[in-house]
Amino acid sequence: MEGSEEQGETSKAPLSRGVSKGVSILDVILRFVAIIGTLASAIAMGTTNQTLPFFTQFIRFKAQYSDLPTLTFFVVANSIVCAYLILSLPLSIVHVIRSRAKYSRLILIFFDAAMLALVTAGASAAAAIVYLAHKGNARANWLAICQQFDSFCERISGSLIGSFAAMVVLVLLIFLSAIALARR
Amino acid sequence: MSSGEPAAVSIPIHDHHGKAPATSSAVPAAAAAAPAAAPAVAPRKVSIPFFRRGDHHRGSRCLAFLDFILRIAAFGPALAAAISTGTSDETLSVFTEFYQFRARFDDFPAFLFFLVANAIVAGYLVLSLPFSAVLVIRPQTIGLRLLLLVCDMIMAAMLTAAASAAAAIVDLAHNGNLRANWVAICMQFHGFCQRTSGSVVASFLTVVILMFLVILAACSIRKR
Repeated sequence: MEGSEEQGETSKAPLSRGVSKGVSILDVILRFVAIIGTLASAIAMGTTNQTLPFFTQFIRFKAQYSDLPTLTFFVVANSIVCAYLILSLPLSIVHVIRSRAKYSRLILIFFDAAMLALVTAGASAAAAIVYLAHKGNARANWLAICQQFDSFCERISGSLIGSFAAMVVLVLLIFLSAIALARR
Repeated sequence: MSSGEPAAVSIPIHDHHGKAPATSSAVPAAAAAAPAAAPAVAPRKVSIPFFRRGDHHRGSRCLAFLDFILRIAAFGPALAAAISTGTSDETLSVFTEFYQFRARFDDFPAFLFFLVANAIVAGYLVLSLPFSAVLVIRPQTIGLRLLLLVCDMIMAAMLTAAASAAAAIVDLAHNGNLRANWVAICMQFHGFCQRTSGSVVASFLTVVILMFLVILAACSIRKR
Protein backbone atom coordinates (compact mmCIF):
# COMPACT_ATOMS: atom_id res chain seq x y z
CA MET A 1 0.00 0.00 0.00
CA GLU A 2 2.84 2.38 0.76
CA GLY A 3 4.43 1.44 -2.55
CA SER A 4 1.35 2.34 -4.57
CA GLU A 5 0.90 5.58 -2.65
CA GLU A 6 4.47 6.62 -3.30
CA GLN A 7 4.12 5.72 -6.95
CA GLY A 8 0.95 7.75 -7.25
CA GLU A 9 2.63 10.70 -5.64
CA THR A 10 5.75 10.79 -7.76
CA SER A 11 3.68 10.45 -10.91
CA LYS A 12 1.80 13.69 -10.18
CA ALA A 13 4.30 15.23 -7.76
CA PRO A 14 5.00 18.74 -9.13
CA LEU A 15 1.36 19.60 -9.86
CA SER A 16 0.19 18.11 -6.56
CA ARG A 17 2.78 20.05 -4.58
CA GLY A 18 1.90 23.22 -6.44
CA VAL A 19 -1.78 22.85 -5.64
CA SER A 20 -1.00 22.12 -1.96
CA LYS A 21 1.15 25.23 -1.77
CA GLY A 22 -1.59 27.23 -3.47
CA VAL A 23 -4.12 26.01 -0.93
CA SER A 24 -1.84 26.94 1.97
CA ILE A 25 -1.12 30.41 0.56
CA LEU A 26 -4.84 31.01 0.02
CA ASP A 27 -5.33 29.96 3.66
CA VAL A 28 -2.89 32.66 4.84
CA ILE A 29 -4.52 35.33 2.67
CA LEU A 30 -8.01 34.45 3.90
CA ARG A 31 -6.81 34.59 7.47
CA PHE A 32 -5.60 38.15 6.90
CA VAL A 33 -8.97 39.10 5.44
CA ALA A 34 -10.77 37.62 8.44
CA ILE A 35 -8.45 39.43 10.86
CA ILE A 36 -9.23 42.75 9.21
CA GLY A 37 -12.97 42.02 9.21
CA THR A 38 -13.24 41.10 12.87
CA LEU A 39 -10.91 43.88 14.01
CA ALA A 40 -12.89 46.49 12.09
CA SER A 41 -16.17 45.20 13.51
CA ALA A 42 -14.95 45.16 17.08
CA ILE A 43 -13.53 48.68 16.83
CA ALA A 44 -16.58 50.09 15.03
CA MET A 45 -18.93 48.67 17.63
CA GLY A 46 -16.70 49.44 20.57
CA THR A 47 -16.37 53.13 19.82
CA THR A 48 -20.09 53.87 19.59
CA ASN A 49 -21.07 56.80 21.70
CA GLN A 50 -23.90 59.12 20.87
CA THR A 51 -25.37 61.76 23.12
CA LEU A 52 -28.57 63.44 22.07
CA PRO A 53 -28.58 67.25 22.17
CA PHE A 54 -31.63 67.50 24.41
CA PHE A 55 -31.81 66.47 28.03
CA THR A 56 -34.12 66.67 30.98
CA GLN A 57 -33.11 67.77 34.43
CA PHE A 58 -32.23 64.29 35.61
CA ILE A 59 -31.42 62.17 32.57
CA ARG A 60 -29.06 62.70 29.65
CA PHE A 61 -30.01 60.70 26.58
CA LYS A 62 -26.98 58.65 25.69
CA ALA A 63 -26.37 55.45 23.77
CA GLN A 64 -23.33 53.21 23.94
CA TYR A 65 -22.68 49.63 22.97
CA SER A 66 -22.47 48.61 26.62
CA ASP A 67 -26.10 49.56 27.21
CA LEU A 68 -27.14 46.46 25.30
CA PRO A 69 -25.49 43.27 26.65
CA THR A 70 -25.82 41.56 23.28
CA LEU A 71 -23.65 44.21 21.65
CA THR A 72 -21.09 43.76 24.44
CA PHE A 73 -21.05 40.04 23.62
CA PHE A 74 -20.54 40.99 19.96
CA VAL A 75 -17.48 43.10 20.74
CA VAL A 76 -16.01 40.42 23.02
CA ALA A 77 -16.62 37.61 20.52
CA ASN A 78 -15.05 39.54 17.66
CA SER A 79 -12.04 40.42 19.80
CA ILE A 80 -11.52 36.77 20.77
CA VAL A 81 -11.79 35.60 17.18
CA CYS A 82 -9.40 38.32 16.02
CA ALA A 83 -6.86 37.33 18.66
CA TYR A 84 -7.17 33.65 17.71
CA LEU A 85 -6.70 34.42 14.00
CA ILE A 86 -3.59 36.47 14.71
CA LEU A 87 -2.19 33.64 16.83
CA SER A 88 -2.96 31.01 14.20
CA LEU A 89 -1.29 32.99 11.43
CA PRO A 90 2.22 31.61 12.19
CA LEU A 91 0.90 28.03 12.13
CA SER A 92 -0.71 28.71 8.80
CA ILE A 93 2.53 30.15 7.41
CA VAL A 94 4.36 27.03 8.59
CA HIS A 95 1.90 24.99 6.52
CA VAL A 96 2.99 26.86 3.40
CA ILE A 97 6.59 25.93 4.00
CA ARG A 98 6.12 22.37 5.21
CA SER A 99 2.86 20.93 3.97
CA ARG A 100 3.26 17.45 5.40
CA ALA A 101 2.08 18.35 8.88
CA LYS A 102 -0.65 15.90 9.96
CA TYR A 103 -1.89 16.88 13.39
CA SER A 104 -1.58 20.64 13.10
CA ARG A 105 -4.17 20.84 10.33
CA LEU A 106 -6.59 18.86 12.44
CA ILE A 107 -6.03 21.18 15.42
CA LEU A 108 -6.51 24.15 13.10
CA ILE A 109 -9.83 22.75 11.85
CA PHE A 110 -10.98 22.15 15.41
CA PHE A 111 -10.24 25.68 16.57
CA ASP A 112 -11.53 27.22 13.34
CA ALA A 113 -14.85 25.44 13.87
CA ALA A 114 -15.06 26.70 17.45
CA MET A 115 -14.27 30.26 16.35
CA LEU A 116 -16.82 29.98 13.54
CA ALA A 117 -19.48 29.13 16.10
CA LEU A 118 -18.42 32.04 18.30
CA VAL A 119 -18.35 34.68 15.57
CA THR A 120 -21.63 33.44 14.09
CA ALA A 121 -23.31 33.58 17.48
CA GLY A 122 -22.05 37.11 18.15
CA ALA A 123 -22.87 38.45 14.71
CA SER A 124 -26.37 37.04 14.51
CA ALA A 125 -27.36 37.98 18.07
CA ALA A 126 -26.22 41.54 17.32
CA ALA A 127 -28.11 41.40 14.02
CA ALA A 128 -31.32 40.48 15.85
CA ILE A 129 -30.87 43.43 18.22
CA VAL A 130 -30.00 45.82 15.37
CA TYR A 131 -33.12 44.70 13.51
CA LEU A 132 -35.15 45.39 16.62
CA ALA A 133 -33.54 48.81 16.97
CA HIS A 134 -34.52 49.63 13.39
CA LYS A 135 -38.02 48.23 13.32
CA GLY A 136 -39.14 47.84 16.91
CA ASN A 137 -41.81 45.32 17.79
CA ALA A 138 -45.45 46.31 17.91
CA ARG A 139 -46.60 43.29 19.89
CA ALA A 140 -44.07 43.54 22.67
CA ASN A 141 -44.34 47.33 22.69
CA TRP A 142 -40.64 47.78 22.01
CA LEU A 143 -39.94 51.11 20.35
CA ALA A 144 -37.48 51.48 17.51
CA ILE A 145 -34.64 53.45 19.05
CA CYS A 146 -33.14 54.29 15.67
CA GLN A 147 -35.65 57.09 15.31
CA GLN A 148 -33.69 59.10 17.86
CA PHE A 149 -30.19 57.65 17.86
CA ASP A 150 -29.48 57.60 14.14
CA SER A 151 -25.69 57.86 14.19
CA PHE A 152 -25.46 55.13 16.83
CA CYS A 153 -27.77 52.98 14.73
CA GLU A 154 -25.75 53.45 11.56
CA ARG A 155 -22.55 52.52 13.36
CA ILE A 156 -23.93 49.32 14.85
CA SER A 157 -25.50 48.29 11.55
CA GLY A 158 -22.28 48.85 9.62
CA SER A 159 -20.11 46.94 12.06
CA LEU A 160 -22.11 43.79 11.38
CA ILE A 161 -20.78 43.61 7.82
CA GLY A 162 -17.17 42.90 8.79
CA SER A 163 -18.26 40.21 11.19
CA PHE A 164 -20.44 38.39 8.67
CA ALA A 165 -17.65 38.59 6.10
CA ALA A 166 -15.28 37.02 8.63
CA MET A 167 -17.83 34.25 9.18
CA VAL A 168 -17.90 33.40 5.47
CA VAL A 169 -14.11 33.48 5.37
CA LEU A 170 -13.91 31.06 8.31
CA VAL A 171 -16.21 28.62 6.50
CA LEU A 172 -13.86 28.80 3.50
CA LEU A 173 -10.85 28.27 5.77
CA ILE A 174 -12.30 25.09 7.25
CA PHE A 175 -13.12 23.86 3.76
CA LEU A 176 -9.55 24.55 2.60
CA SER A 177 -8.08 22.74 5.59
CA ALA A 178 -10.34 19.76 4.92
CA ILE A 179 -9.24 19.67 1.27
CA ALA A 180 -5.61 19.86 2.35
CA LEU A 181 -6.20 16.93 4.74
CA ALA A 182 -7.85 14.88 2.03
CA ARG A 183 -5.08 15.49 -0.46
CA ARG A 184 -2.21 14.62 1.83
CA MET B 1 -21.42 -19.50 5.24
CA SER B 2 -23.38 -22.08 3.27
CA SER B 3 -25.00 -19.34 1.24
CA GLY B 4 -21.49 -18.20 0.41
CA GLU B 5 -20.76 -21.27 -1.66
CA PRO B 6 -22.59 -20.48 -4.94
CA ALA B 7 -21.68 -16.80 -4.54
CA ALA B 8 -18.01 -17.54 -4.11
CA VAL B 9 -17.25 -17.50 -7.82
CA SER B 10 -19.26 -14.44 -8.83
CA ILE B 11 -18.55 -11.93 -6.02
CA PRO B 12 -15.46 -9.82 -6.79
CA ILE B 13 -13.02 -9.65 -3.96
CA HIS B 14 -12.48 -5.96 -3.30
CA ASP B 15 -10.39 -6.19 -0.21
CA HIS B 16 -6.83 -5.15 -0.42
CA HIS B 17 -4.09 -5.38 -2.98
CA GLY B 18 -1.60 -7.71 -1.31
CA LYS B 19 -4.24 -10.25 -0.41
CA ALA B 20 -6.05 -10.51 -3.76
CA PRO B 21 -4.02 -13.16 -5.60
CA ALA B 22 -3.84 -15.38 -2.53
CA THR B 23 -7.54 -15.29 -1.80
CA SER B 24 -8.70 -15.84 -5.39
CA SER B 25 -6.94 -19.16 -5.40
CA ALA B 26 -8.03 -19.89 -1.87
CA VAL B 27 -11.69 -19.22 -2.58
CA PRO B 28 -12.56 -22.23 -4.83
CA ALA B 29 -10.60 -24.44 -2.50
CA ALA B 30 -12.46 -23.07 0.47
CA ALA B 31 -15.78 -23.38 -1.33
CA ALA B 32 -15.04 -26.94 -2.30
CA ALA B 33 -13.58 -28.12 0.98
CA ALA B 34 -15.03 -26.32 3.98
CA PRO B 35 -17.60 -23.60 3.40
CA ALA B 36 -17.45 -22.80 7.07
CA ALA B 37 -13.78 -21.85 6.81
CA ALA B 38 -13.18 -18.79 8.92
CA PRO B 39 -13.98 -15.36 7.46
CA ALA B 40 -10.51 -14.24 8.46
CA VAL B 41 -9.03 -16.35 5.62
CA ALA B 42 -11.33 -15.38 2.72
CA PRO B 43 -12.62 -11.87 3.56
CA ARG B 44 -15.87 -11.77 1.63
CA LYS B 45 -18.37 -9.24 2.93
CA VAL B 46 -21.42 -11.44 2.58
CA SER B 47 -22.74 -12.21 6.02
CA ILE B 48 -20.26 -10.75 8.49
CA PRO B 49 -21.47 -7.83 10.62
CA PHE B 50 -19.43 -4.76 9.80
CA PHE B 51 -17.79 -4.40 13.19
CA ARG B 52 -16.41 -7.95 13.11
CA ARG B 53 -14.69 -7.68 9.75
CA GLY B 54 -11.00 -7.91 10.44
CA ASP B 55 -9.82 -5.62 7.66
CA HIS B 56 -7.84 -2.50 8.28
CA HIS B 57 -10.80 -0.20 7.65
CA ARG B 58 -12.06 -1.02 11.09
CA GLY B 59 -11.22 2.32 12.68
CA SER B 60 -12.84 4.25 9.84
CA ARG B 61 -15.92 2.07 10.07
CA CYS B 62 -16.26 2.73 13.80
CA LEU B 63 -15.99 6.47 13.18
CA ALA B 64 -18.58 6.27 10.40
CA PHE B 65 -20.95 4.36 12.64
CA LEU B 66 -20.49 6.96 15.38
CA ASP B 67 -21.26 9.61 12.73
CA PHE B 68 -24.50 7.79 11.85
CA ILE B 69 -25.58 7.53 15.49
CA LEU B 70 -24.79 11.19 16.16
CA ARG B 71 -26.87 12.25 13.17
CA ILE B 72 -29.87 10.46 14.61
CA ALA B 73 -29.13 12.05 17.99
CA ALA B 74 -28.96 15.54 16.48
CA PHE B 75 -32.24 15.13 14.63
CA GLY B 76 -34.26 14.88 17.86
CA PRO B 77 -33.48 18.28 19.42
CA ALA B 78 -33.70 20.07 16.06
CA LEU B 79 -37.17 18.72 15.37
CA ALA B 80 -38.26 19.34 18.96
CA ALA B 81 -37.07 22.96 18.81
CA ALA B 82 -38.88 23.55 15.51
CA ILE B 83 -42.15 22.04 16.70
CA SER B 84 -42.03 23.69 20.09
CA THR B 85 -41.47 27.14 18.57
CA GLY B 86 -44.09 26.60 15.93
CA THR B 87 -46.75 25.75 18.44
CA SER B 88 -45.95 28.57 20.84
CA ASP B 89 -49.03 30.68 21.07
CA GLU B 90 -50.19 32.30 24.24
CA THR B 91 -53.23 34.46 24.81
CA LEU B 92 -53.53 36.29 28.08
CA SER B 93 -56.74 36.14 30.02
CA VAL B 94 -56.64 39.93 30.28
CA PHE B 95 -58.21 41.88 27.47
CA THR B 96 -59.52 45.33 26.77
CA GLU B 97 -62.50 46.13 24.63
CA PHE B 98 -60.46 46.41 21.45
CA TYR B 99 -57.31 44.49 21.99
CA GLN B 100 -56.46 40.98 23.11
CA PHE B 101 -53.01 40.32 24.43
CA ARG B 102 -51.45 37.55 22.43
CA ALA B 103 -47.94 36.36 21.68
CA ARG B 104 -46.99 34.05 18.84
CA PHE B 105 -43.72 33.11 17.25
CA ASP B 106 -44.40 35.06 14.07
CA ASP B 107 -44.66 38.32 15.97
CA PHE B 108 -40.86 38.11 16.21
CA PRO B 109 -38.97 37.72 12.92
CA ALA B 110 -36.05 36.19 14.81
CA PHE B 111 -38.26 33.32 15.97
CA LEU B 112 -39.52 32.84 12.44
CA PHE B 113 -35.96 32.51 11.18
CA PHE B 114 -35.25 30.17 14.11
CA LEU B 115 -38.19 27.93 13.22
CA VAL B 116 -37.27 27.77 9.54
CA ALA B 117 -33.60 27.07 10.26
CA ASN B 118 -34.42 24.26 12.68
CA ALA B 119 -36.83 22.71 10.20
CA ILE B 120 -34.20 22.86 7.45
CA VAL B 121 -31.53 21.30 9.66
CA ALA B 122 -33.88 18.53 10.82
CA GLY B 123 -34.75 17.76 7.20
CA TYR B 124 -31.09 17.80 6.19
CA LEU B 125 -30.14 15.39 8.99
CA VAL B 126 -32.77 12.92 7.88
CA LEU B 127 -31.71 13.20 4.24
CA SER B 128 -28.02 12.73 5.07
CA LEU B 129 -28.65 9.49 6.98
CA PRO B 130 -28.43 7.26 3.84
CA PHE B 131 -25.14 8.93 2.85
CA SER B 132 -23.77 8.28 6.31
CA ALA B 133 -24.90 4.66 6.06
CA VAL B 134 -23.06 4.34 2.74
CA LEU B 135 -19.92 5.59 4.48
CA VAL B 136 -20.22 2.82 7.07
CA ILE B 137 -20.32 0.20 4.35
CA ARG B 138 -17.66 1.75 2.13
CA PRO B 139 -15.34 3.80 4.32
CA GLN B 140 -12.88 4.62 1.56
CA THR B 141 -15.00 7.19 -0.30
CA ILE B 142 -13.25 10.44 0.55
CA GLY B 143 -15.39 12.64 -1.72
CA LEU B 144 -18.57 11.75 0.13
CA ARG B 145 -16.93 12.45 3.47
CA LEU B 146 -15.77 15.84 2.25
CA LEU B 147 -19.25 16.65 0.96
CA LEU B 148 -20.82 15.68 4.28
CA LEU B 149 -18.25 17.75 6.16
CA VAL B 150 -18.99 20.87 4.11
CA CYS B 151 -22.76 20.45 4.34
CA ASP B 152 -22.57 19.78 8.10
CA MET B 153 -20.50 22.88 8.57
CA ILE B 154 -22.89 25.09 6.59
CA MET B 155 -25.86 23.71 8.51
CA ALA B 156 -24.06 24.22 11.81
CA ALA B 157 -23.26 27.84 10.94
CA MET B 158 -26.85 28.56 9.90
CA LEU B 159 -28.26 26.91 13.00
CA THR B 160 -25.84 28.81 15.25
CA ALA B 161 -26.97 32.05 13.63
CA ALA B 162 -30.65 31.24 14.13
CA ALA B 163 -30.21 29.97 17.68
CA SER B 164 -28.21 32.99 18.80
CA ALA B 165 -30.61 35.48 17.21
CA ALA B 166 -33.46 33.75 19.06
CA ALA B 167 -31.35 33.72 22.22
CA ALA B 168 -30.86 37.50 21.94
CA ILE B 169 -34.61 38.02 21.71
CA VAL B 170 -35.27 35.58 24.57
CA ASP B 171 -32.73 37.38 26.74
CA LEU B 172 -34.46 40.66 25.96
CA ALA B 173 -37.84 39.13 26.77
CA HIS B 174 -36.54 37.90 30.12
CA ASN B 175 -34.61 40.97 31.20
CA GLY B 176 -35.83 43.88 29.14
CA ASN B 177 -33.60 46.89 28.61
CA LEU B 178 -33.69 49.99 30.72
CA ARG B 179 -31.90 52.30 28.29
CA ALA B 180 -33.96 51.49 25.26
CA ASN B 181 -37.13 51.36 27.36
CA TRP B 182 -37.94 47.83 26.30
CA VAL B 183 -40.18 46.03 28.79
CA ALA B 184 -39.52 42.40 29.75
CA ILE B 185 -42.53 40.60 28.29
CA CYS B 186 -41.84 37.39 30.19
CA MET B 187 -43.53 38.92 33.18
CA GLN B 188 -46.88 38.43 31.46
CA PHE B 189 -46.34 35.72 28.87
CA HIS B 190 -44.96 32.89 31.01
CA GLY B 191 -45.77 29.91 28.82
CA PHE B 192 -44.56 31.54 25.61
CA CYS B 193 -41.32 32.50 27.29
CA GLN B 194 -40.65 29.05 28.72
CA ARG B 195 -41.35 27.36 25.43
CA THR B 196 -39.10 29.54 23.37
CA SER B 197 -36.29 29.41 25.95
CA GLY B 198 -36.45 25.61 25.97
CA SER B 199 -36.33 25.38 22.21
CA VAL B 200 -33.29 27.69 22.07
CA VAL B 201 -31.48 25.34 24.47
CA ALA B 202 -32.39 22.29 22.34
CA SER B 203 -31.16 24.07 19.24
CA PHE B 204 -27.79 24.83 20.82
CA LEU B 205 -27.49 21.14 21.70
CA THR B 206 -27.96 20.32 18.02
CA VAL B 207 -25.24 22.84 17.15
CA VAL B 208 -22.79 21.13 19.51
CA ILE B 209 -23.53 17.73 17.98
CA LEU B 210 -23.14 19.12 14.45
CA MET B 211 -19.77 20.66 15.33
CA PHE B 212 -18.69 17.32 16.72
CA LEU B 213 -19.77 15.69 13.46
CA VAL B 214 -17.56 18.12 11.53
CA ILE B 215 -14.55 17.26 13.72
CA LEU B 216 -15.30 13.55 13.34
CA ALA B 217 -15.40 13.85 9.56
CA ALA B 218 -12.08 15.70 9.58
CA CYS B 219 -10.53 12.95 11.75
CA SER B 220 -11.81 10.25 9.39
CA ILE B 221 -10.42 12.04 6.36
CA ARG B 222 -7.04 12.31 8.02
CA LYS B 223 -7.10 8.68 9.09
CA ARG B 224 -7.85 6.99 5.78
